[in-house]
Amino acid sequence: MSAKERYFAYQIKHALDENTERLSSNTMERLASARKIAVSRKKKSFAYFFIRRPAMAGQKRGFFNQPLTLLGRLGVAAPLLAGALLFIGLYQFEQEQRLYEMAEIDVAVLSDDLPISAYVDKGFNAYLAGREE
Amino acid sequence: MATDKELSDFLENVERRAFKHAIFAVRKEESALDIVQDAMIKLAEKYGDKPAAELPPLFQRILQNAILDYFRREKVRSTWVSLFSSLEGDKSAHDDFDLLESFSAEEGSEAAESSADKLERQQVLAIIDEEVQKLPARQRQAFLMRYWEELDVAETAIAMGCSEGSVKTHCSRATHTLAAALKARGIFL
Repeated sequence: MSAKERYFAYQIKHALDENTERLSSNTMERLASARKIAVSRKKKSFAYFFIRRPAMAGQKRGFFNQPLTLLGRLGVAAPLLAGALLFIGLYQFEQEQRLYEMAEIDVAVLSDDLPISAYVDKGFNAYLAGREE
Repeated sequence: MATDKELSDFLENVERRAFKHAIFAVRKEESALDIVQDAMIKLAEKYGDKPAAELPPLFQRILQNAILDYFRREKVRSTWVSLFSSLEGDKSAHDDFDLLESFSAEEGSEAAESSADKLERQQVLAIIDEEVQKLPARQRQAFLMRYWEELDVAETAIAMGCSEGSVKTHCSRATHTLAAALKARGIFL
């Protein structure tokens, strides 16, 4: 585009700008209202939800800074209790499994049912020595 | 990411021009206001997390799409209206009604300001507005985005959904068309 054409285009631009200064007050109010509505609906970024807002003066925020209701306390205690019970249950189960296996070996030794290869196995002999102790 | 203030400042800067863009296209003030509001809301809701520098071409694209949607709705509406109007009975009671007899220009609008006591400059401004509105839609879009919104060629191409070459062609044709139209009306810039 030539300089003359560019100059013409910018003359038109200035004329259009002047015309926008003459919009009615009703139109300007409607546009301002639309702008406020739009800003209120602004999309928040993903990081927004992980940034803690600064605490207001005299007020503490956060889940554990607020006094918990009975329901809140139950909501915290219940999963902890369930986890503890699960852990105890698993431990008991493993202990019982271990005892069961040991009992099976004892029965096999006493009834002379062990395979011959067990007697030449150094690991098995060490296991027997450990049990005696 | 644009802050709330940056978004608000951008919209405040662009809202008047956006309204003019819309009214050039649809020629109805209420519809133009609705289009601008829809475009602003869409920009904020869908692209409010974009950097401030990306907002201008995005908004122009949204605005142009909103204008296109308006025309599509109007086309559907006029189809239904003409369909049902053909089912109406005797309309002779309404034949004497002429909208222009009761139409009065809103205070501060273009029509009210075209009255006899307007200054020469205001007349020239009004003629320029008129001739811009008469431009073919694509030429007007390209011209306004390049020279009024001050988008570069690439940004204008994205907003219009066309190639950069097309943008330059539309701009050049718009400039020549406007210059010829204003010259025919005795205005030389």
